[in-house]
Amino acid sequence: MVRAFLLLALGGPGPGPAPCRVLLARAFAPPGTPPGTPPGSPPRQRLRRKEQLLAVARQVASHCHLHQASSGRPPAPPLPEDPPSLHNAPGGLFRLAPGDPFPQGTSVAWLAAPSLAFALVCDPPENLALAEGTLRHLAPRLLAALRPPGTGVLLRPDAADLLLDRLLPHGQLLFLSERFLQAVDRELSR
Amino acid sequence: MFSAAAESFLRQAREVQPEELQRFAARVAAQLQGPEPGPEAAACLQRLHLVVAASKYPRRLDGEIVGLLQKVLCSSKCPEQIQLLCAAILREMSPCIDLSLSCDNIQDTKLLSLVSSVLLAQGDKKAEVAAVGQRIVKVLEGRLPEGQSSRYLLPVLSNVISLSPEALTEEQTNVVSKKMADWLRYASIQQGVAQPSRGFFSNPRTRQPGPVTEVDGAIATDFFTVLSLGQYYTEDQWLNMQAFSMLRKWLLCYGGKGLNAPNSGNRSEMDESVMSMVSTTSTSSHLLPPKERLREKAFEYCQRLIEQSNRQALKKADGDLQKACLIEAVTIMDIICKQDSSYVYRAAAFLKVLHSRISGDATYARALLPIAQFFLNHGEMAAVDSDAIYKHLLTDIPAQLFHNASLAFEFVLFCKENSQLFAETSSIFRQSFPNLFKFLAWNSPPLISEFVDLLPFLLDAGTAIEIFHLLLDLPCLTAALDVQMRSTSASERASCDPAVKPATCLEAFRHPLYKSAFQYLLRIESAPEDPPERLIPLRQLLGSLASSPRVVQCADTVPVLLELFFSVVAEFADGPLINQLVVLLLQRSDQLYEIPAFKDDVHRVLSSQLVMLCKLHPALIVELSKELLEFSGTVSNIQNKEAVFTHVVWAIGEYMSVSYDKRCTVEQINRFFETLEAVLFEVTQVRPLASIPSYAPRAITVLMTALTKLAARSQDLIPRVSLFLSKMRTFLQSPAVTSVYCEEDREEILTRATELMNLLKMPSVAQFVFTPSVDAARSRFQKEVNDTLPSALRIVTRLLEPAPGFVPG
Repeated sequence: MVRAFLLLALGGPGPGPAPCRVLLARAFAPPGTPPGTPPGSPPRQRLRRKEQLLAVARQVASHCHLHQASSGRPPAPPLPEDPPSLHNAPGGLFRLAPGDPFPQGTSVAWLAAPSLAFALVCDPPENLALAEGTLRHLAPRLLAALRPPGTGVLLRPDAADLLLDRLLPHGQLLFLSERFLQAVDRELSR
Repeated sequence: MFSAAAESFLRQAREVQPEELQRFAARVAAQLQGPEPGPEAAACLQRLHLVVAASKYPRRLDGEIVGLLQKVLCSSKCPEQIQLLCAAILREMSPCIDLSLSCDNIQDTKLLSLVSSVLLAQGDKKAEVAAVGQRIVKVLEGRLPEGQSSRYLLPVLSNVISLSPEALTEEQTNVVSKKMADWLRYASIQQGVAQPSRGFFSNPRTRQPGPVTEVDGAIATDFFTVLSLGQYYTEDQWLNMQAFSMLRKWLLCYGGKGLNAPNSGNRSEMDESVMSMVSTTSTSSHLLPPKERLREKAFEYCQRLIEQSNRQALKKADGDLQKACLIEAVTIMDIICKQDSSYVYRAAAFLKVLHSRISGDATYARALLPIAQFFLNHGEMAAVDSDAIYKHLLTDIPAQLFHNASLAFEFVLFCKENSQLFAETSSIFRQSFPNLFKFLAWNSPPLISEFVDLLPFLLDAGTAIEIFHLLLDLPCLTAALDVQMRSTSASERASCDPAVKPATCLEAFRHPLYKSAFQYLLRIESAPEDPPERLIPLRQLLGSLASSPRVVQCADTVPVLLELFFSVVAEFADGPLINQLVVLLLQRSDQLYEIPAFKDDVHRVLSSQLVMLCKLHPALIVELSKELLEFSGTVSNIQNKEAVFTHVVWAIGEYMSVSYDKRCTVEQINRFFETLEAVLFEVTQVRPLASIPSYAPRAITVLMTALTKLAARSQDLIPRVSLFLSKMRTFLQSPAVTSVYCEEDREEILTRATELMNLLKMPSVAQFVFTPSVDAARSRFQKEVNDTLPSALRIVTRLLEPAPGFVPG
């Protein structure tokens, strides 16, 4: 299953003054504990969930920066008001080892936009090609729905949820053709 | 973009005090209790959500407001936006202690999905998952009221079975399996109709919809799948798409014998009779039990998808979907064959044809991995010769597509899944390891941790030497791959004049002088016999690329891999292999790619691993005395490879002793002594009117100590050492030296010289201190290079030169 979806602000590369920040996080599974340990009190479970997602976000930011550095190109300018097409946006895959931070190993698919990144945390049997495709459909629609950039994300979880409920309902990756996507867009604009 | 405004918003949200939060929550409650919560209520809820979400520490909300949120969530009169916000807040606070939410009486499927999202986030303390699962199945089983759609329920079910497969009884899984088989196979192949518009000018007659089309525009030739296109979709077509989306998970969970977690596959029973290879025809399929029927429909669906992937999609998104579908279809076929081996023959024949179709198409390369996995799992049973498939996968794909990061990642995961194949010595998998490292060389950050897991499987006595060289040349490989890529995309073929030396790396790629070196570096198969010296000129040529970011990222991974390499090799290496590695270590320490930080890191690792190898096989000092004499006698090594030099000299001092190897003769000790003495002499010479080069103080002290140790074992040498050490004070106080070495370092060197001299005044003590028994040497108190030695020296010094008031006991 897809354990979580994340939208984060990238911050600066390396241990610099600007850490990455999780702008939007949706978990589709409880945090999970190593086998044999009790789940803990509800505040602890919630804290664990938040910390796990933050740990993933830091890794995503780090991979984005490394990928950007290896390409040798200067960083893209911040997002203009009109959301850009993200067809050629950089993206990638990496793995999180068991215990770091989820009890079992997971794979993360990420997609970078200027100063932002999107990520899906997937359990092993998920179709990673589909996960990457889902990110590429989700990202531009989210950016369009959550304007203005920045405050829009923080104050409109309902807009984000509307999209996630259509394109990633309960963490289910969907095999959506272009026409199905158009049907989804039509439903959302009603 | 994360503007300053957003940053300050977050901070404000975090700094809201509990009392302020309570007041705000009360205001929200008042608005929600009003007749029709409108945009102001929505705005308040949005802010409340932010306050709750912004902090990772719990925010207490009154039981009253929590109850109100639940009530509003379930109320059908509320606008959707308000419901979404209530659900979001409740989820954000999960797990909630005082949640009384239940899905039992909810009829509206959309709302049921929303409420389920809150319940499933509670962590299943009160069997919420099972309750949700039961309700969903109940609704699916029954007849839905007008206007309701089952679309919203399948994803919930999918989530339920991921969290808790035991949530459904066998009867319930049979019910759902039956429905899924119908949705997959019998969805309408007519397009849906648009929602009728109810405007004044709307046309009451709706046009007849046509049939669905394939991705290339042709009319659909067979049943509906996710690759069938329509202008509008019917309810059962949506269910078809969703059923396929959760099919893999469902089969993994319930398709095998007994209950399985979605993440495990089920091994099929191999004693199924061969006669059952004749598959049941679809006319009799309605007699099959639900599980088997679903399996069959799923198999047909996958076959159809694979055929549909042959078409040229008109839209890029559909083309990408075709590839994802292909991967999914092959994987599902693999799972089906594991659960029922009677499908193996059909599947194998089909997939062999598919493989020949896509093997030349780079855009379908990712799909080759599940195909190869299928044949690894079932090829033997299908009596199919799949060696050509593996060969193509391991030799062609990495060489051509190393730059495709997603493919690289999945390829390496595939290797890890099948790591036992790489451990077999003469298998094609093992032989292709040079090709595999191309993935790492190009995509270092995401793949380094995977290679740390994979490397031990590739290492044995036969591959160790070649892999050692390969690791040291990994950044070089990155540079060569860069040149290769640019060469393939270069529009004009640069004419290659063999007489003229190439000016750029690109020219060199085709130049006869460098061509074979490039070919060796970029080889696709293990070539242990080829001497790696031919890479020396190539390494120099590629120096121009040494600062490229990708090369530097690759260079950062090498020290980690080297340490791992040695720790694995230490487990199986015998004396001859260790000797070989030490000789190569010394040679390669100045045949490294010219990246300064890289060279320093590699020297650091090599020097500490040298010590490890010496501990494993101390006799190597005697066996390799020729090479060690040459290395330690070369003064320039102190500048170029200080770490390695220092550790070599330390090892000589430590292990050149009869207690480690009976073959250690006095002549050998003397020979080493003379060599080291000459080096120390050279290093401590003060030439008048000439500036002296600065040598690392550590090198000087380790030379002095080693000489002393050797002298303790061959006591004729003691006078020579003592004389030398006594001259150190003069050396250190000369003006030329004071300007080159700082006071601390000079102090340190002088102190050490004095301690050593004092020790030599008591030769039998010196002998004891410097030549402990082999057992004591292995005790854990003498792990570090100069750990206990300084303290021993200090004690002796104090005994010989007591400070005032110190009375020897």
